Amino acid sequence: MATELRSIGVADLDALALGAAVLGTGGGGNPYIGKLRLRGLLEKGAEVRVVPLEQVESDWQVVSVGGIGAPVVGVEKIERGDECARAIRALERYSHRKVDALIASEIGGSNALEPMIAAAELGVPVVDGDGMGRAFPEVQMTTFSINGAATAPAALADEKGNEVVLSQVVNMYWLERLARAVTVEMGAAAGLALAPMTGGFVKRTAVRGTVSQALAIGRTILAARAARRRVVQALAEEHGAHHLFAGKITSVRRELLGGFAVGHVLLSGYDEHAGQEARVDIQNENLVLRVGQEVLAVVPDLIMLLDADHGEPITTEVLRYGQRVDVIGFPCDPALKTPQALNVVGPAAFGYPELTYVPLQEERGARAHHPS
Amino acid sequence: MRIIQAEDLKDLATGAAVLGTGGGGDPYIGSLMAQQAIRRRGPVKLISVDELADDALVVPAAMMGAPTVMVEKLPQGDELTLAFRKLEAFLGRKIDAVLCAEAGGLNSTTPVVVAAETGLPLVDGDGMGRAFPELQMESFTLHGVQATPMVMTDDKGNSVVLNTVNNRWTERLARAATIEMGGSALIALYAMDGATAKRAVIRGTVGQAIDIGRALREAHTRNQDGVAAVRDHLNAFHLFDGKIVDVSRRTVGGFARGKAELEGLDDFAGQRLTIEFQNEFLVARTPDRVLASTPDLITALDMDEGSPITTESLRFGFRIAVLGIPCDPQWRTPAGLELVGPGYFGYDIPFVPVETLAAQDQAAARS
Repeated sequence: MATELRSIGVADLDALALGAAVLGTGGGGNPYIGKLRLRGLLEKGAEVRVVPLEQVESDWQVVSVGGIGAPVVGVEKIERGDECARAIRALERYSHRKVDALIASEIGGSNALEPMIAAAELGVPVVDGDGMGRAFPEVQMTTFSINGAATAPAALADEKGNEVVLSQVVNMYWLERLARAVTVEMGAAAGLALAPMTGGFVKRTAVRGTVSQALAIGRTILAARAARRRVVQALAEEHGAHHLFAGKITSVRRELLGGFAVGHVLLSGYDEHAGQEARVDIQNENLVLRVGQEVLAVVPDLIMLLDADHGEPITTEVLRYGQRVDVIGFPCDPALKTPQALNVVGPAAFGYPELTYVPLQEERGARAHHPS
Repeated sequence: MRIIQAEDLKDLATGAAVLGTGGGGDPYIGSLMAQQAIRRRGPVKLISVDELADDALVVPAAMMGAPTVMVEKLPQGDELTLAFRKLEAFLGRKIDAVLCAEAGGLNSTTPVVVAAETGLPLVDGDGMGRAFPELQMESFTLHGVQATPMVMTDDKGNSVVLNTVNNRWTERLARAATIEMGGSALIALYAMDGATAKRAVIRGTVGQAIDIGRALREAHTRNQDGVAAVRDHLNAFHLFDGKIVDVSRRTVGGFARGKAELEGLDDFAGQRLTIEFQNEFLVARTPDRVLASTPDLITALDMDEGSPITTESLRFGFRIAVLGIPCDPQWRTPAGLELVGPGYFGYDIPFVPVETLAAQDQAAARS
């Protein structure tokens, strides 16, 4: 970026939501409602200040926030808007400490905007970065957790006005279990504020610059559309996206299991992929792309489905039979590729013990040897 | 004021099972824990709610979960006191007395453990005067006391603080967390001041449970009729004596639901009775009329011993006496009946006090 991002304005919202949806890899919740909510706040004069990661003070109390729940529910049970802000206030009340800045747990999907909505309400800045560089379905799947962030106190708030502070949890898996159980009872969608972190810890562990990245991706897509260029091509050129497949959706299986949207999509290839069949496995997010028997991309690398005509990212809850889509991939942040991180966000953590994580880059290099 | 000694716990457990109306969980394990705590820390002072200062802070301590789990997954020891202490820390104020949330069943003994461990007095009274399956079903709710802030702790080291919009939501969210915690949790909730406690507490029910247990024990030592001892002690209505000829039971939405069919014996020969239950006994009826319904207490006693029988131990061939006991008047108000009346549990019958039903029954017999 030529200029450093210092604030989010109304004019940024379309690009930001679009970029966040791309980084959402099919999940993270549809950013549309969050975008409307944030626009409303900004138009009423609220401010969303953005702080670059380097400028976070070491002694700040930084809280990562976002919505938790099934994305399918999020689009029907519309949030009240202050869920995240109230979760943060519940944390402040419990720990008797003020929060200095917010950071997204996940930049992907609606959770890119949730910290901004809360920041606008609370008058604190958001950090340019997040804990995933994408979206993941479970709360412990962040670079913060992977690097040993405290698991408690964390707080949940729902649209009815209920608040639950997880004041002590045995480990990050218990945090996920208890938070998930409470969320399901709250109606499968809630705001979640995680244990306050020091600014110093956030500087060491956050995925850097992802708010700027989401905005830039969104701007690329909008510019490509305006210039009548192919969006996937623009994303490949400007952001290093890998164009992995083009096809028509022939089947969508999706069900709610324990608060997750779980299923898969089948695609029948066209153009250069004619005659090929692809399958994308979903657990809120797109996790595995197989073309034929070959695994082309696997979590934690990013797999996104874009509408073939406009490059609109298609989240898993709006997948439909007959849609024509481009499947693209982005390499994940290096912080997610360590053995320690792969234990938490690698294929095995999602129930694919048979898959070994092969980074997108290498795979593509290997594939380049095949005549195509 | 009276003193609860370790020896009183057996009587308390027996009496609490009578007030448990078939549910509330087996108080046996809790009574052992309370005995141990009293032996270690000294006896517990049982005070009248009137002895509390108006600005005193009073907090109930209890266990939450499925009774069948609670008797198998024992508290590690300090979880009960831990929830209580954590709520105290959250409120930022010393708690002055422990309160019983549910005098029927297991939760009659849990506050005794906390009182012994903390050295605080225990208020003689509770929020139900019996057992009920959900945590909003407290006389405290009728007096506008918020269940939250509420603290829950488990055996693994997790703890949760809830703040909810109403007590029904406390139940829902706490229940979800309890299930995830393995089916049981220790809770502290319904913090209130002394002035509120004086209005809201159903008085004397802990002492009453001890007295019921003692009356039954003394009847046994004197070789007297145990059923009569309990009945006379409580001025209960003797609804039925009979043999269980059928029991059906299923678990629906976390409740043990079902019914027992009885064939009359002795004075009741030739008659039939059905008792319907959802954790607790809720409705007792003959083929043509209701004899008693929630929130009045329906208690089953073993006909020979007079010992209370829980819904999970109902078996074909058991000979039981069924007693009906008027509930606390608070439950008979419109607000009380909305919370715990037959309608809440899905029975399409109006609540009629057990004494009215008994009078109608006698009138019918005379005519």
